[in-house]
Amino acid sequence: MSGMFSTLAIPASAGIGLRSPHIAEMLTRRPSAGWLEVHAENYMGDGAGVEALERLRQTYPLSVHGVGLSLGSARGLNRDHLERLRKVCERFEPDLVSEHLAWSIADGAYLNDLLPLRYDEEALAIVARNVETLQDTLKRRVLIENLSAYLAFADSSMNEAEFLAALVARTGCGLLLDVNNVHVSAHNLQYDAKAFIDALPAEAIGEVHLAGHATNQVGTDTVLIDDHGSRVPPVVWALYQHAIDRLGPRPTLIEWDTDVPVLDVLLGEAMWADMLTASIMFNRRQAARREQTTKARAKPICLPVEYETKTSMPVLAAFAAARSERPSVSSQAPSLEEIYHAAA
Amino acid sequence: MLPLDHLQTTMARAVLAMAPTIAAKALTAGKADPLARLRIYQNNTRSSLTSVLMAVFPVTVRLVDERFFRYAASEFIRRHPPAESRLARYGAGFPRFLKSIDTLSDMPIVAETARLEWAIAEALDAASLPPRSLGDYDNIDLGTSPDISVQPSLRLIVSHWSILSVWTAHQHDAADRHSSWARRAERVALWRAGDNIRLIQLDRANFAFLHSLKHGLGLEQAAGRALALDPGFDLVSALVRLFGDGLVTNVRAAATAHSNSWRQS
Repeated sequence: MSGMFSTLAIPASAGIGLRSPHIAEMLTRRPSAGWLEVHAENYMGDGAGVEALERLRQTYPLSVHGVGLSLGSARGLNRDHLERLRKVCERFEPDLVSEHLAWSIADGAYLNDLLPLRYDEEALAIVARNVETLQDTLKRRVLIENLSAYLAFADSSMNEAEFLAALVARTGCGLLLDVNNVHVSAHNLQYDAKAFIDALPAEAIGEVHLAGHATNQVGTDTVLIDDHGSRVPPVVWALYQHAIDRLGPRPTLIEWDTDVPVLDVLLGEAMWADMLTASIMFNRRQAARREQTTKARAKPICLPVEYETKTSMPVLAAFAAARSERPSVSSQAPSLEEIYHAAA
Repeated sequence: MLPLDHLQTTMARAVLAMAPTIAAKALTAGKADPLARLRIYQNNTRSSLTSVLMAVFPVTVRLVDERFFRYAASEFIRRHPPAESRLARYGAGFPRFLKSIDTLSDMPIVAETARLEWAIAEALDAASLPPRSLGDYDNIDLGTSPDISVQPSLRLIVSHWSILSVWTAHQHDAADRHSSWARRAERVALWRAGDNIRLIQLDRANFAFLHSLKHGLGLEQAAGRALALDPGFDLVSALVRLFGDGLVTNVRAAATAHSNSWRQS
């Protein structure tokens, strides 16, 4: 089975989650999308979707994202499910494989939701063992995703970021930073979202997720629900900007699972992510250049003018869009405005 | 402090039972009430699994009304939660569960239609192999009684109720949906063709013929069983239809002769 597909590496740019309503259009239109991510559990059978993915895999780099392995289960991994995941990876040869820091199976039941762990040494030993089993079975590094949570355990002895950092150190796994999850959990459990991101080992982060969430008012409690059912909101874009500023470009996925819109909306969100990353990197280069110019004032004529002209369009577009549609992004990124005027 | 295994079992029961069987002091949620937050997990589990069942049983939803379906689904989820995370397999026991609900005892067609819908769900998740044509075997000696393999997605259902008529009536905005609720046995064959499901109604002989082939009994036994039910069974037409429907995935000489010679040697 292996070696059926050519190796397609996932680029450090935006991709989209492949959802069944879009499969037919993806097959006929083959739109420009950096890469695709699928939920492993949807491709464990032999239905028409599996055949379609085999065709799409010939064109698009692929990431397989597990949602049902329950890496946090104290009783260990379900061997049958692990074997099914191995077969999905063997069949589609994805460039990235990821799962969650969560549990969803206990007492013989699968809850179809991702539940939080009590973050302590006991859980760390259990999850580390499960991640090692997973990586040994798939013979590859797996990225582990942070969770969106609505509650935590009083007896946790560390926070989720510390737990993930320890897990990376212990197992050599990578991380999938879900920026929306960070915002949702930070709001619901009242901690600092940026500090969470800063506490993760940057070099381990191999992928980023972006999505929308819902806001529910229950009495006096405003709780954010991770429903993946809307556009990436400004506050998540701002947090993404903080992450990319620290990490540099990373493969970034637009996730949308409920009330799935037309394909072009997903592709549009992916474009925003690419433009935001491009403008952050442009900003960095500008700053570096300015620093260089200050150091070598004798040769101001050597500024790479042509290069600036080439990159000014996406920056211009990103800024214009950020200003009109995402006010909080531009307000939290005053440096973009500076670039805009410089480029204009 | 509970060991993690015990903590997860307790919490899973709290999520499924829709009751806070876990001690509130073990949980935190910023300034919010942790037990109110626990209800989010309870709702997520119930509503996401209900959506799974509604997607698998759309005609059943229409037969009993969505509110009743949601009630039945939530009882089913509480008593029979998924045993594995491959949700394409969740719902196999739902038709039998519907049969056991008192409210539906005088409407057996509901559970029977659900049984048809589950067969469709199974077929949609099954492989569709390249079909063979009769011409593929023009110059091949298949012996007197070849074995015929059929599409793995083929499902055969027999019901005392007119399940296919009911199912078909609910595929369109049919004005006269209730005319077909008859106590009349229907035998249905269905299989996956690309993204679609094909369904046909069969008579007893053709049903027995396909049923025998599906269970690997070989062409001779399949024809024998069909003829026993109906002396007028037309084997040639049945074979032409079988190939024409793309149901044949392989034909080979029966292995019986080979195993005999092996035994003798």
